[in-house]
This record gives sequence, structure tokens and C-alpha cells, in this order.
Amino acid sequence: MRNRSQARVLLATCILTLAGLALAATQWQMQPKQSTLTFIGKQAGAEFEGVFEKFTADIKFDPKDLAGSRFDVQIDMNSVNSRDGERDTTIKSADLFNVKRWPTGHYVADKFVDRGAGKFSATGKLTLRDVTREVPIEFTFETKGGATWLKGTANLKRLDFGIGQGEWKDTATVANEVKIRFALLLR
Amino acid sequence: MQVMNDDRRYGAVAQLFHWAIVALIIVQFILANRADDLPLGPAKIATLALHKSFGMTIFALAILRLLWRLMNRVPTMPLNTPGWQRIAAHISHGALYALIMITPLFGWLMSSARNFPVSWFGLFTFPDLVQPNKPLYDFFHEAHETLATTLLVLAIAHALAALKHHFLDRDNVLRRMLPLKLKSDGRL
Repeated sequence: MRNRSQARVLLATCILTLAGLALAATQWQMQPKQSTLTFIGKQAGAEFEGVFEKFTADIKFDPKDLAGSRFDVQIDMNSVNSRDGERDTTIKSADLFNVKRWPTGHYVADKFVDRGAGKFSATGKLTLRDVTREVPIEFTFETKGGATWLKGTANLKRLDFGIGQGEWKDTATVANEVKIRFALLLR
Repeated sequence: MQVMNDDRRYGAVAQLFHWAIVALIIVQFILANRADDLPLGPAKIATLALHKSFGMTIFALAILRLLWRLMNRVPTMPLNTPGWQRIAAHISHGALYALIMITPLFGWLMSSARNFPVSWFGLFTFPDLVQPNKPLYDFFHEAHETLATTLLVLAIAHALAALKHHFLDRDNVLRRMLPLKLKSDGRL
């Protein structure tokens, strides 16, 4: 009798686990080599682009199960590359990213909305330095020729996160607005 | 004053091009030196942004000025000018025209090579000419400074020659680039 009830419990556990797996949105593996995280800043009226070379994205996403979807992105702030060494050193310094104190940026999104025509939006919390703010993103999720791409944009204000202390609080030369663009290859 | 040049003097448009470019070049040296002394910060970015905006203005004025020159007569040199001076004048004028175009062009190239795109007073942004590349930036930077120094030396020689004509030869060479009446003693 005891064996039988144990077997039942085991079976029930298995069924529940399987059901849970089926319900949870697909777990994707981001391909770091092909994926990009770009920022576009504006200095003295001219836009310039930079990237974060190192970041990881834990993507659970299924267009049919938005409730079970979740993005969790970790950004290595030290990996910033604006294609100018002096500017990168400045961006990493205490008045801007302060990578010594806050080496990692973090973004978590778990509220998704289907905008139709393959477009989605999400609201998530972005942490840069020691400030956490809500930042909405818009993205597309497309599988073409066997490759699944998650591509989107966001806009944020650097001063909301304290990126710009002292003289860098000035927005006349370096704009407050920063555009973010991402393209993640998922497998 | 006449708009076009004639054999004796430069017209208003040519004079305006000449003196506007002179003034802007002086401003450029002041801004460049000021920026060199600043650490990377908003003040340096703002100073260089102004330098780049004026530089692109010089570039555009230089092209228009060259076109204007091609549409106009060029006043003749004084009849008694020795051959070597004629040659020296032609070479230095040619070099000055080349430098007021090539120096800004190299500034634009160095900005592109460092991924600091060139905006014109924040109103629009010029396209990048090359991909960001450190060795290329170092080359264009060096070249831009060498060209600027050459321009400065030649411009000073050019100005001294004009002053020599004015005060020693007492001819019309300087007057004809200024809104002044020409001396009518028969000498050009």
C-alpha cells in the first residue's frame, strides 16, 4: 500500500512538472556572438553609437504565453565600447557609469503587451548605478530561415540614473536622452 | 563697390570671402588651443563642436570662393613684379586655396575616425567619411595639425607680402582687397 501511494505522489509530481514546463514560455539561449546591445548618445548636436560588448540575456518568451514570459538582462558596464578609448575611460569614470562601484547593469521585464503585427512592448525595471527605474521597450519577435531574432528599442534619460554627476549634469553638450537598440539572436 | 572683380581690383564678394575666411581661421586657432588645454569634459566637447562648426563653414566658403574665382577675372599683378615674385605669388595663392579646403577636410576625417561625428552648430550632422579607427585617427590628427601650421605660416608670409606692397612699394596690391579707393598714379 505504501509503495503504491508513493508511486501516485511521484506520478502526480511528474504530471505537474510537465504541465508546468508546457505552460512556461519557451526558454531561449541568447547567442552572444551575433547579439548586439547598442546605445546612441548625442554630443554637441551629433549622434554617436556605442555598444556593450558583454551582456547576458535570460529570455523566456512565447507570443502565446506573455504572462509566463520574462526577460532578465545583465550588462557588464565595463564592456562599453564607443570606439574611442578616451571617451570609454571617461564614461566608466565615477561621474558617469562608475564601473568600480556599480559594474553591472540589470534589466528585468515581466509585463508584456501584444501590439499586433508581430510587435510587442514590455515594461521592465532598469538598474544602472544605484538607481532603478521603469523603462518600457518595444520589440519584434521573428523567426526567419531558422533564426529567431528579438529586436527592439528603448529610450531613456541618463540623468534619471545619475549618469552625469558634476559637470556632466549639463545637458547642453551631452544630451540627456539616450536611445537603446538591441538585436538578440535566440536559439 | 563693384560686385565682380576686374583687372584692377577685387569686387565685394571676393573681399567678403577673403576676410570672412581670415577671421574664421583666427577663431579656429584660438578654439583649437583652448580645447587642447582642456580635459575631456563638456567644456572641451563644446569648444571642439564650435571649432568643427566653424571649420565646416570655412570648408563651404572655400569651395564657393574657388567657384567665384573661376567665374571672375583675377586682378593682374603690378607690371614691374619680378618673375620670381610672380611665381612665388602663384604658388602661395594656390597653396592657400588648397589648405583652406584640405585642412577642414582632414578635421572632418579625424572626427569620423574617432567616432565624434561633425555637427554644424547642432542644426545638422555631416556623414562620417571613415569608420572609427585609432591609427587612422592619429594620422589624420597629425596631418590636420601640420596642415594648420603650414596654413598659418603661409598666411603670415602672404600678409607680410601684402604689407610690403602697401608700405614699401606703395602700390594697390593691399588696397584692392579692401573697400578702399585705388591710387590712380598709373601703377597697378
